[in-house]
Amino acid sequence: MKHTLKYFFSSCLLFSMVLVQAQETTTTTVTKEAVPAKPKTESAKPELQEAAKPDSIKTDRYGLRVGVDLYKLTRGLYDKDYKGIEIVGDFRLTKKYYIAAELGFEDKTTDDDRLNSTATGTYIKGGFDYNLYQNWLDMENLITIGLRGGFSTFSQNLNSYKIYNPNPYWGEQPAIIADKKYNGLTAGWLEVAMGVKAKVFNNVFVGFGVQLKMLVANTKPDGFDNLYIPGFNRTYDGSFGIGFNYTVSYFIPIYKKKTVIPQIKKDAPKK
Amino acid sequence: MKKIISLLLVFTFGLSSCEKDDICDPDTPTTPRLVFTFYKINSPSELQNVTDLMVIGEDEKTGIIFNETATDTTKYLANGSTISIPLKTNVNSTTYTFILDSQNDNPAAINTDAIKFNYTHQDVYVSRACGFKTTFTLDPLSTSPPFSVPFVQTDTDGNGLWMQEVFVINPNIENENETHIKVFF
Repeated sequence: MKHTLKYFFSSCLLFSMVLVQAQETTTTTVTKEAVPAKPKTESAKPELQEAAKPDSIKTDRYGLRVGVDLYKLTRGLYDKDYKGIEIVGDFRLTKKYYIAAELGFEDKTTDDDRLNSTATGTYIKGGFDYNLYQNWLDMENLITIGLRGGFSTFSQNLNSYKIYNPNPYWGEQPAIIADKKYNGLTAGWLEVAMGVKAKVFNNVFVGFGVQLKMLVANTKPDGFDNLYIPGFNRTYDGSFGIGFNYTVSYFIPIYKKKTVIPQIKKDAPKK
Repeated sequence: MKKIISLLLVFTFGLSSCEKDDICDPDTPTTPRLVFTFYKINSPSELQNVTDLMVIGEDEKTGIIFNETATDTTKYLANGSTISIPLKTNVNSTTYTFILDSQNDNPAAINTDAIKFNYTHQDVYVSRACGFKTTFTLDPLSTSPPFSVPFVQTDTDGNGLWMQEVFVINPNIENENETHIKVFF
């Protein structure tokens, strides 16, 4: 939990910094567009002339981006209680919207004070991302906010447990080895995903994201609880959850679309 | 867009505001104790207070602490009409000796009875923070095979049983809200 919080706060901090930067860039583009409009002011009909002048054209690349979550992949190297992999993918639908999906597998042993259990299973998440970032020229960075629906099928193994006895007259009992397996468990949730993706070179992107989740469906085993849900992360008393990923992905361009920067047309009717 | 973001922020704060810590709340019903209530033998509907009752588990040196605040031997003494005693969570029987009027200077006034309780126990999941609890079911009274008795009373000091009548009111020990054993003396 400590680590999750640390990541959460540091990513929040990074978000706020990047957001400030985003505002700066939009103001600079506005001034840049205002410059070519100045020399053509001698005419009586400025609207027509402005429409006739060549628009700045921007080429947007559309395609599929596939990647892997390095955080889950590398965690297995230093955390003996964890094995996991997540494949991420998104497809650009329009200028701002992306269809996004994640597919994963997790095997996590949760060692609490009184319970030790292992959850194993696969999950799928699907939804969309909205790019908030206004790119310069042919830059392709993303600051996204999106929604996902998630679904997981998994099993849980109760390894050992302790009896809580507020009156330990007969002494505290050691942990009881249960090794009981609960199969066929499912859970569904909604999540709000915030992320940043930056093109580092060619078509390679590095990104990280945090997800705030809300559990909507959860089949609890008889006589036990789902302490960890693959894809959802650990559960709390309520339906709240939190997640983190660090991805490296490759962009496969499929087609290009030329777009006219819309600010010029907006400026035209202004007198 | 700003509206959506502010909505999402409200949504997330709403989610995170009501989360409990991972510490077992003492008010959570966990492993229950066996609850005794004492009544007058001559007037069975009236409660009877015990006098300096000390309850000691088999092979234990000290009694059950009934009075947390006291520092001397009085912390082991019960003087009310009800007591609660813990059962062993890992075996199917627990034996206690009940010493009535234990602080009396006259040894003849002190009366000691022993009771062995026979039961089965089940482990029930509570929560992540509390883990499991144990609930108990006293064995039913059965005079035909398989034979079983909920408890066995013995007079260890040979001066007669001070608990003249003992009844199992509720054999399912799942919480401490109700009396499980009624004792008349």
